[in-house]
Amino acid sequence: MKEQDKTPDDRRGFVMALGGAIATAFAAIGSIILPGSAAASLLDDEDENDSEKVGVKVQYGMVIDVRRCIGCHACTVACKSEFDVPPGVNRSWVEYTEKGQYPNVGRSFLPRLCNHCSEPLCVDVCPTNATYRREQDGIIAVDHGVCIACKYCMHACPYDARFLDPVNEWVDKCDFCIHRVSKGLAPSCVNTCVGGARIFGNLADPDSAVSMLIASNRVSVLRSEMGTFPNVYYIDADFTDEVDRRRPEVREVRVITHRRHKERT
Amino acid sequence: MINRRNVLKLGATTAIGVPLLKTKKARAHQVEYEAGRDYAYLSGTERDPVATTCALCPSRCAAIAYKENDYVVKIEGNPASKRTMGKLCAKGQAGVNQIYDPDRILTPLKRKGKRGEGKWEKISWDTALEEITDRLKKMRDQGEPEKFMFHHGWISASADRLINKVFLPAYGTGTVASNSCLGQSARLTAHELTWGGYEDSWDFENTRYVLNFGSNVMEAHTNHVALSRRLSIAQVDRNVKMVTFDVRLSNTGSKSDVWIQIQPGTDCAVVLAMCHVIMSEELYRGAGEEFLAFCQVTPDPNASTAEKVRALKDHLASFTPEWAEGISGVPAKQIREITVEFANTRPACVISSRGVSAQHNGVQAERAIQMLAAITGNIDNPGGRCLGVLPEWHYPTGPEEKPAVRKLDILNGFEGESVLAAHDIGHQVFNMIKEGSAGRPEVYMWYNYNPVFSNGNSQRNIDILKDESLIPFTVAVTPFYDESAALADLILPDAMYLECFDFEDGISPDQIAEYAIRQPVVPPSGEARDFKDVCCELAERMEFPLGFDSAEAFVEQTCNLTPVTKKVGGFNAMTTLGVRSDQEAKPTFYSYKKLINEEQLNKEGIIFDEASGVFWNWQQAGVQSEQDAIKQGYRHSPDAHKGYVAQKIGDKVYSGFKPARTNKSGYFEIYSSTLIEKGLPALPVYTSIPEHKELKDNELILTTFRVNVQTLSRTQNCKWLDEIDVENDHGWINPKTAKALDLSDGDWVKLKTDLGEIKTHIIVTHNVVPGVIAISSHGGRWEYGRYASGKKAPYGIELQAPYDSLMWWENEKAHPNWVIDNVSEPISGQQRWMDTVVTVSKA
Amino acid sequence: MHLGTPWGLEVILYLFLAGMGAGTITASASMLLRGGGGDGQYFSIARYGALVGPFPVVIGTVLLIFELGRPFRALNLYKVINLSPMSLGSWFLAFFIIISIIYALLFLPWPQWKGKRLSAWRRRLAWVCVPSGLSVAIYTGVLLGAMPSRPFWNSPIIAMLFMISAISTGMALIIFTRALFYKVHLDVPTEERSWHGSGYVLAATDVLLIGFELLVLFLLLMFAHLTVGSVKYAVEIILPGGELAVFFWVGVVLLGLVIPGIIEMFFVAPKLLYGGHYTAPRSIDIVVPLAVMVGGYLLRYVIVMAGQLTGPVGL
Ligand SMILES: Nc1nc2c(c(=O)[nH]1)N[C@H]1C(S)=C(S)[C@@H](COP(=O)(O)OP(=O)(O)OC[C@H]3O[C@@H](n4cnc5c(=O)[nH]c(N)nc54)[C@H](O)[C@@H]3O)O[C@H]1N2
Ligand SMILES: Nc1nc2c(c(=O)[nH]1)N[C@H]1C(S)=C(S)[C@@H](COP(=O)(O)OP(=O)(O)OC[C@H]3O[C@@H](n4cnc5c(=O)[nH]c(N)nc54)[C@H](O)[C@@H]3O)O[C@H]1N2
Ligand code: SF4
Ligand code: SF4
Ligand code: SF4
Ligand code: SF4
Ligand code: SF4
Ligand SMILES: [Mo]
Repeated sequence: MKEQDKTPDDRRGFVMALGGAIATAFAAIGSIILPGSAAASLLDDEDENDSEKVGVKVQYGMVIDVRRCIGCHACTVACKSEFDVPPGVNRSWVEYTEKGQYPNVGRSFLPRLCNHCSEPLCVDVCPTNATYRREQDGIIAVDHGVCIACKYCMHACPYDARFLDPVNEWVDKCDFCIHRVSKGLAPSCVNTCVGGARIFGNLADPDSAVSMLIASNRVSVLRSEMGTFPNVYYIDADFTDEVDRRRPEVREVRVITHRRHKERT
Repeated sequence: MINRRNVLKLGATTAIGVPLLKTKKARAHQVEYEAGRDYAYLSGTERDPVATTCALCPSRCAAIAYKENDYVVKIEGNPASKRTMGKLCAKGQAGVNQIYDPDRILTPLKRKGKRGEGKWEKISWDTALEEITDRLKKMRDQGEPEKFMFHHGWISASADRLINKVFLPAYGTGTVASNSCLGQSARLTAHELTWGGYEDSWDFENTRYVLNFGSNVMEAHTNHVALSRRLSIAQVDRNVKMVTFDVRLSNTGSKSDVWIQIQPGTDCAVVLAMCHVIMSEELYRGAGEEFLAFCQVTPDPNASTAEKVRALKDHLASFTPEWAEGISGVPAKQIREITVEFANTRPACVISSRGVSAQHNGVQAERAIQMLAAITGNIDNPGGRCLGVLPEWHYPTGPEEKPAVRKLDILNGFEGESVLAAHDIGHQVFNMIKEGSAGRPEVYMWYNYNPVFSNGNSQRNIDILKDESLIPFTVAVTPFYDESAALADLILPDAMYLECFDFEDGISPDQIAEYAIRQPVVPPSGEARDFKDVCCELAERMEFPLGFDSAEAFVEQTCNLTPVTKKVGGFNAMTTLGVRSDQEAKPTFYSYKKLINEEQLNKEGIIFDEASGVFWNWQQAGVQSEQDAIKQGYRHSPDAHKGYVAQKIGDKVYSGFKPARTNKSGYFEIYSSTLIEKGLPALPVYTSIPEHKELKDNELILTTFRVNVQTLSRTQNCKWLDEIDVENDHGWINPKTAKALDLSDGDWVKLKTDLGEIKTHIIVTHNVVPGVIAISSHGGRWEYGRYASGKKAPYGIELQAPYDSLMWWENEKAHPNWVIDNVSEPISGQQRWMDTVVTVSKA
Repeated sequence: MHLGTPWGLEVILYLFLAGMGAGTITASASMLLRGGGGDGQYFSIARYGALVGPFPVVIGTVLLIFELGRPFRALNLYKVINLSPMSLGSWFLAFFIIISIIYALLFLPWPQWKGKRLSAWRRRLAWVCVPSGLSVAIYTGVLLGAMPSRPFWNSPIIAMLFMISAISTGMALIIFTRALFYKVHLDVPTEERSWHGSGYVLAATDVLLIGFELLVLFLLLMFAHLTVGSVKYAVEIILPGGELAVFFWVGVVLLGLVIPGIIEMFFVAPKLLYGGHYTAPRSIDIVVPLAVMVGGYLLRYVIVMAGQLTGPVGL
């Protein structure tokens, strides 16, 4: 390196480059951020919605009580039919984790969906504001008309909750069944949950079923280290992952995602 | 079709225990979520609901189907159903895929070319029915109606009544078989031998302990949603412990507190050992001892409880846990521990299913299980193993004058095949036809049934069904082009369940009967017609009208005749409600304990049989005279059980355990008066499976099992299910076995028996016992349309891009029935699905 | 395309082409400014860069738009601006495309314009081109780096790496174009001097950039080695035995950096170290930059793929 320092030409080029970069940074910081234009979706009618009640904050959320889940996939199919989700992609799915060595083995279930994060990385990266957080209820929604299918949010989501709709060519994910909850109906997957494992409600209300469950159980969220602050809580979730195969005492782990994506990413 | 507001209004009034339906509370900030409505996702317009009932498996759960622009778009549970608590399983919701299956058959098809060649022409219903009428009428007129054979799988309650109880008897044929030999006949027979009634129900609402032998209730079962929902609640809310014996880790096993690995076909030994522990450690004391009063344990119906205890102790003395360990591989210590825990936790529910009964020793194993429940007092009690409660529909019975029914003697298998054969042995019908000594049907018609695929020995089934010299005319009644329909001469496109009227009689998990109906959500697609309507028309054409001209009329009359449904407003109300249970009824427990008074016994024809302690009505049993009746006695009058009235126990007379198909007493017969007469041991014993005695190194036991997202051969045309089911394309093999056979994960293997061989790839997993290969019973389809087999059905619709390219799963699964033979459990004739020995080698 | 890799070859090509184009323009503009804006060896370099630079950017952008499936909706990008790196980047990109095209046009012969005025405008635009080119070059890396859910990408060093690689490949593109199109008469001493002089500037800068790029790669690997969890596991994909190890070590490191670096060093060293002469055959000026460009593409490929194939570990 020393030798190169001797060439003034290059050094000059470099300083300039650096200056350019700094200038750019300033430009970025200084740029006026226009307010998002996420057009209120057609479905935002709040006739029977919590949000309509004046002065009450609403943050919808879900508790998934894995103790009750029987791994039946009724939720998966309910969601598929509610939205006619095309083959190969899922708004909701149920993973199985198998572990242990004969005869000491177990299989646990992990129902999955969008976490409707309070710090949603998908919203942070969306260049068009197609993905946005609904002020009235905290649901993270995608405005299909605006989405350009850049798939950036698919990378940003730490939960692999998003997919490219192969028919409509927009990016989609669970929207907590806005069209149902805004009419006072439970989300479709909750409505059919055979085990009664999915419980939905207003986390901002300390008396709601979900808040009470969270208060009185040992709950967890997925990948909390991501700082996304999910609003989907789990009771008794099994956090074993295929990476745990590296541990000598849990060599045998098999995660079955029941999705086209065989890997849990 | 129906008014949604009414659904909700009526629904809400029935919604006891269905919190979701409660009207919104005043609590301003808390929404209580409703059910029973749905909105279109994109437009927000309300979807049009129709109350109906699922028919994708024998559970028959009440449902609401939603329409958008007259298309069915969504199906969910009916919140008014107490059975299902408003839930529907994955399969039920995928019914949307089935009704719009691009490979559905939508016109009658007649074969061109050779049978099974796959060439078809569309014909009109009129032509099709004319051909059938000609053939059927000729046989009927010639006095050979029995040459019309009708074979069905599980069908709706109304199809059973309309077709099996009205149409076919009015026609005159009794050559009618079901598929019960494939599924439940060993269980049913064991139940008939012990408590008489045959459908059991498990009271998870009140139980404190669940002991499971070979049931996969969390994934399958004939009352799946109702039971799995309650079991899950019991486990979490009441901390109910569950112990499951299975050869592989089913989801039921994984939701249990303990999965106990057991060698295939050896449950009976463990159960006997548990009974041994209960008797020898005096754990029967209390409820068990009390219940023994209602049991027959010795030849003497008047034996005292002490004598019964003595007899049981003697019988069970040698069946020690150590003995059972040697057979089953379950450690004796564990057997003891579980027994003590189970016997000390009351009420406890002993559950069981085809894991123990679809085996060579199925009836004995199931009887042993009944004994285990009995000696701990867990029979028909809250929280125990109960006699199933189902609705009693009063239906129109058709023409007054029915001909004497004639039948071909091909329904009960070969000579000596089974001791009782109280249920037909449908899996031998083809072989009996081939053999020919009992005659052959001229017309073989099947309905809701896929004989080629669902029975053992697929190749022979194909060969026989294909052979025009054996069966001159074959008719498939089905909406779908399955493996059997491909071998028909004529395919009648049945309406799909979402296009039909029906009533149903599913078992109630809470011991209160629930009445459910089905109604068309949309009219039949294409030219499809409800086969029940077709039967009405056929009867009309053959000039024996049934008195109702359609399934709708039949269901309507039934709803108006049946007290419970009549009370709510009959058919009209039921089309709005979909489902209704008797509001006044209390759960039925201890049904055997009803005291029968003098008056009830002082009726014409009722006599007392000293030898059995049974009061019976010889007239209802079809005996010629009272003299004969007394002379022959209850046990030896052929149909005496039909006249059963009551059982004398001590100095009281009880309703007892009413026999259903054999002349058992009104006792709970641990000691079987029926089997002893057949020369079999009267008390449950263990017999090992003969084929398992000496296994070579490369011989494994093939177990087949149900998967939660498929029903046997019925749902593989549902893309929403197929894509979840892709993981089930493997044979499960334990690492130890794999090592011994030099196999590794993902390898392709050959499974060979005398019948031939199949190929499958394997998953090496710790979730199956060594020495076993487990394969799901749903895979390896070679017809049924593109989603199931990758093959389009004749006249199947071309799909438009991009949907056709979105089918990403492969159909590489193997079907086990190519290598499983048609073999009967020796008492009941149940097909043995779980104990076939196969030679396994790398492919 | 791998399942679970939403970004395929179009996006990778775009990232490469846009970066390279931005690098080309940036290099051209800085050369122009370095040479005072007038004629001479720097000017000819600047001219090649200016004329060739917009092509990769425009081609890459077109590819990207068509990858979106519904190209017209791409306009939605320009209805808002927010802090998403992609939003900022799109605005930068749009701005840069316009600027770079104007800049390129200024290098065409415009007889009616007086040379002085033309070069004044060139200089003015060059001042804009440098920061905006760098912005585009950096943003392609910031785009990837912005997401904690992609441990392989989620470090500021990726942006650095992409920037250096952008300039390096841009430089390579200039050398390459110059070697193809420069009609040089080596027997004329002035021309010879100018040819080798500009060649030296280019090659020396390139060596420097290659050195930096290697350094940055070293830091990336090193910190991945020193950390635990997601990043560590993610980096395994390019370490020996990993799925992309061959692409990375052979394609990116050897072919794209080490070999071109050694060859260029071989020619640069005499002048650099002991004031000797720089002479490189034209064939070297064709082959070496090609290798650098292929390496630059493979770098994007490996990094984009690795980021998509690896995720956070654990649940
Ligand atoms: N290896 C193995 N084989 C088994 C078993 C096992 O455990 N292992 N289990 C056995 C058991 S328990 C059973 S019950 C049988 C079940 O076997 P089957 O009685 O054959 O019943 P399914 O396979 O469910 O359905 C049969 C056919 O009904 C047709 N069908 C579907 N919907 C309709 C309709 O709406 N109308 C009409 N008319 N037809 C329709 C379809 O063509 C389908 O192929 O399989 C048995 N086979
Ligand atoms: N999802 C779904 N549900 C269904 C059906 C379906 O096809 N799919 N079919 C319906 C019908 S027709 C029926 S008959 C029922 C069947 O319902 P089940 O009888 O509960 O179901 P299976 O999966 O056939 O068998 C139960 C279990 O027995 C285990 N088993 C095998 N051999 C042994 C053994 O030797 N000992 C023990 N202890 N266990 C053993 C198997 O591994 C399996 O887990 O389900 C009904 N419900
Ligand atoms: S789970 Fe993913 S898609 Fe859903 S809000 Fe969080 S980051 Fe966004
Ligand atoms: S794919 Fe759509 S929703 Fe996702 S970041 Fe791009 S524009 Fe936003
Ligand atoms: S809340 Fe609605 S969209 Fe989300 S997973 Fe459940 S059914 Fe699907
Ligand atoms: S429906 Fe409920 S019980 Fe079934 S898999 Fe989904 S979360 Fe689990
Ligand atoms: S359990 Fe059977 S009847 Fe009930 S919803 Fe599922 S498939 Fe339908
Ligand atoms: Mo069955």
